[in-house]
Amino acid sequence: MYHQQKYALPLQKYGNYSNEEYSMDNRRVFQQRGRNYTWHKFDRKDYNFEHTGAPYAVGLNKKKRRWNDDDRTFLSAWDDRKHKESKMSYNAQNGTRESWFKVTIPSGRNYDKTWLMNSIMSICSVPFTPVDFHYDKNQARFFVQDASTASALKDASLKICDEENQKIIIFVRPSIVPYSVKSYFTPKQMEQIKLTMMKRYDVSQKSLDLRKFRFDRDLMSCDIDMMLNRRCCMNATLQIIQSNIPELLSLNLCNNKLYQLDGLSEVVEKAPQVKILNLSKNKLRSVSELEKVKELKLEELWLEGNPLCRTFQNESAYASAIRDQFPTLIRLDGKELLSQTVMNNENPQLRKESYKEPEIIRDLVVQFLKEYYSIYDSGDRHGLLSAYHDEACFSLTIPFNSCDSDLSNLEEYFKHNRDLIKLKDSYTRMKLLKHTNRAIVDSLSTLPKTQHDFYSFWVDMSLCTEVMLCFSVNGVFKEVEGKYQGCVRAFTRTFVTVPKSSSSMYIINDKMILRNSSPREIQKPFIPLPTVSPSLPKSTLSEKHQEMVKSFSEQSGMKLEYSQKCLDDNEWDYTKASKIFSILQTDGKIPKEFFK
Amino acid sequence: MSMSVDFKTYVDQACRAAEEFVNIYYETMDKRRHAITRLYLDKASLIWNGNAVTGMEGLKKFFDMLPSSEFQVNILDCQPVHEQATQAQTTILVVTSGTVKFDGNKQHFFNQNFLLTAQSTPNSTVWKIASDCFRFQDWAGH
Repeated sequence: MYHQQKYALPLQKYGNYSNEEYSMDNRRVFQQRGRNYTWHKFDRKDYNFEHTGAPYAVGLNKKKRRWNDDDRTFLSAWDDRKHKESKMSYNAQNGTRESWFKVTIPSGRNYDKTWLMNSIMSICSVPFTPVDFHYDKNQARFFVQDASTASALKDASLKICDEENQKIIIFVRPSIVPYSVKSYFTPKQMEQIKLTMMKRYDVSQKSLDLRKFRFDRDLMSCDIDMMLNRRCCMNATLQIIQSNIPELLSLNLCNNKLYQLDGLSEVVEKAPQVKILNLSKNKLRSVSELEKVKELKLEELWLEGNPLCRTFQNESAYASAIRDQFPTLIRLDGKELLSQTVMNNENPQLRKESYKEPEIIRDLVVQFLKEYYSIYDSGDRHGLLSAYHDEACFSLTIPFNSCDSDLSNLEEYFKHNRDLIKLKDSYTRMKLLKHTNRAIVDSLSTLPKTQHDFYSFWVDMSLCTEVMLCFSVNGVFKEVEGKYQGCVRAFTRTFVTVPKSSSSMYIINDKMILRNSSPREIQKPFIPLPTVSPSLPKSTLSEKHQEMVKSFSEQSGMKLEYSQKCLDDNEWDYTKASKIFSILQTDGKIPKEFFK
Repeated sequence: MSMSVDFKTYVDQACRAAEEFVNIYYETMDKRRHAITRLYLDKASLIWNGNAVTGMEGLKKFFDMLPSSEFQVNILDCQPVHEQATQAQTTILVVTSGTVKFDGNKQHFFNQNFLLTAQSTPNSTVWKIASDCFRFQDWAGH
């Protein structure tokens, strides 16, 4: 009878594994089939790859096994027909290339498979996918691919305890390529597969559509079972791609019952140009599967319809996890991903144009801020009285855990610090909220003298209605006198204003957040506004000085008031002033607004 | 609220509302992000690091795309806004600062300010966001 015979393969010993777990349909084993019939095609129904009983099932009858000393291979009783087919389909080249290891757990059958595999995976320092898990008498067995996994598994031996507190032993030995991985297509079959694939290849788009590949008519009529979840099928596919269309750009593997992407990991070598990958409607359970192909520089990825999509709380967690694997990704499931620049905001360029408010409003705000800060920096803040509404409010807060840990140099400001999280006392809360313009201006006058870097301000326009404007100014200023002279502070100041006239406004709320600036913020040079009070009448200048201002203005191209300032700053020494002007001008430090 | 109400009461009310609101807002941002748009008025505007987002649809889409967050608020302050600016809709200005870590990104310091408007129902007063301005502090100086 067939099952009594033993066979040795010409090139390499052939292994077969028994699997009593799966029931065998006896009749199939002995059914007449064509020479090219591939053994494991039982039916076209739902067949989870892991449970294809066929390769490991042996005929009804006894199996005889003999192991080699080094447990490298073993022979077994084998169905005659099956052997012949395997002989024909065996591909020595593919079989010997990878280094495989067989992992054996004695008494493995006693444990629930999921528990066992999960326990091993959690102890094992290297993540792995077990290949061809099966039972052999009482032992559980599976294969893993590389040496590092193998040694990690060896280390896991005796580290897991079962319910009876027995330590679980794990044996690891080198082995031949597992059955499922070996290529078993004949050259003729490979040719047919190649033809079928080429029919599905669009040259203009460089895209290959392997959707539902198993059910392709051509393949089915030739009895070729392309279950892409299988290593061997995927290997064959990738091989064909590599030899014929290595320039492939887009690969569609939708609806191929892919449970894992181990087989696809070689796509990086075999089809390195792939930028569009469709893995939708498969059975991928975790994002970690994608790690196997993460070297691909994907621009577009489809994953919808996989169980892994449901493991995320929301769409953004999903998108962010996928993007972690593929930083170059532009589209996920057909939708554009939120550009990273929104998160990184590396190039804000927003300044005063951060909100699409009408130009008029923007100009109004800029003008207001200029006037406000020139008085603020002038040394006498009482000039701000008219800027505030009678019933305006002002308060100041210093963030507790700001960038710098040393807040002692902000001591002048701390006495005004109003923070509702730390301050619970109603009386103090009231006291620290300055109410009425007089109280505010008095309070501001007690703060150290400053010089703001006006041209570096960022303004965000939060709200703009007919009766109110709300905007926030972010910027830096320098202390110009006192104990902390030279210290640079960063602030965010939120103003709520109401219109006073068509071109001016009252501040009704003024809220400042103040901290020490970071080193980055200090780097840029300061260009302060002229702190000459705008109300300084020109008539106080002598005729001589007026003449100087006029000619300086003509020569430099700067407006009169700025020419005046430049001269004034340089003690009305015309030569000195022009020298300073040229230096600043060459360095590009003079803002455009200063010029006519 | 009419201005006949004592200013102090006004301030107290604002403080309480601010504290309550901030707790709800950041918890919703971290743990129930899908519900965050309920805290905004229909016509609310958001400026997020200089990017303007308006309208309920825009807000929904934006918050959906924003990765999951872990906020830590360090300071909080608020001021009542005078009715002259608000056409008699009780409004408060709330300002917060702290740190935030978005999934997949490093931690940032942030400053945020809100204008909250009271919407009175027969049973209670609900505060909703009329404007929201958020900025990371790490590049405030370019």
